[in-house]
Amino acid sequence: MINDLIYVYCISDSPLGFARNVKSKDFKSMKFDDFYVIVKYVSESEFSEADFKRNLSDIQWVETNARDHIRVIGMIMEYTTVIPFKFGTIFNTKAGLQQFITDYTVSLTENFNNIRGKEEWAVKIYCNRKAMSEQIDELSVEAAALEEEIMASSPGKAYLLQRKKEDLIEKEMDRLCRDYGQKYFDEFKSLSESTSLSNLLPKEYTGQEDTMILNAAFLVSKDKVPDFKWTFDTLRKKDENAGFIIEATGPWPPFSFISIKEKL
Amino acid sequence: MMHDHVIDRSKDITILEVLDRVLNKGVILTGDIVISVADIDLVYVGVKLMLSSVETMEQIRSGNPIVEK
Repeated sequence: MINDLIYVYCISDSPLGFARNVKSKDFKSMKFDDFYVIVKYVSESEFSEADFKRNLSDIQWVETNARDHIRVIGMIMEYTTVIPFKFGTIFNTKAGLQQFITDYTVSLTENFNNIRGKEEWAVKIYCNRKAMSEQIDELSVEAAALEEEIMASSPGKAYLLQRKKEDLIEKEMDRLCRDYGQKYFDEFKSLSESTSLSNLLPKEYTGQEDTMILNAAFLVSKDKVPDFKWTFDTLRKKDENAGFIIEATGPWPPFSFISIKEKL
Repeated sequence: MMHDHVIDRSKDITILEVLDRVLNKGVILTGDIVISVADIDLVYVGVKLMLSSVETMEQIRSGNPIVEK
């Protein structure tokens, strides 16, 4: 089978002197001007436009190849600064890739300057509304006040107030999620060079019972990463009783902080 | 749990987290072949199906076992 399409993983701005130490049968480095493009040759039978699109409907194929994409970029990233490409960026010819590098040199250089010495960290925060509702009298002044009124009321009135409290709890939980989400975001932001918010994912995608309240990426200077991790650990322990679950992953290739602009 | 080098242990990272990055971000405006927005939607439909089947499996596993008298 002829492998003649060029699949691009990422671009580095320094030569891969480490290539001897890394199993490089998976990929190769091509030099274009001042850049080193990490590629692999792939077959038309897998990656031609029609076949590629058919393969995208096979989730196992997508998972294998998407993880390979991250794995190779992650490997390169341990040695040098990288600009990651979106999964499945294919060039038909070396000349096409050279043309891209020529057209976007200024923008590529700017991006390297932005991300050098920094790491991308992802933070996802979920709220367990059941755990939160059990704590609501401690978390919400309004809920606590209403609870006091209920305790002091006749059974009939208490019943009505209890219904009222159920509505209040839902509203207060929405507010708490917003307030805490913002508070966490601000804490992490203060330790970051740049931030990027992503859509909140619905439960059917996350496979979690808990509601996602923050989905963000942070570009963190390498010297601030220990602080970032410490903050994460502290917040995670502090608020888990209130029903907040904080997850952090990284370092990722700086996918969320790449912005390539066409030469004017 | 926090890892220092999660990329090396990418099995710990959900496919969703991986797709979130590699499909929607990075250098995205180039190439002779690139994934379109419609293609990405297609991938997410696949993910949803996969996750819902995992869920179904878990429901089956955690369901009340039949008690023989």
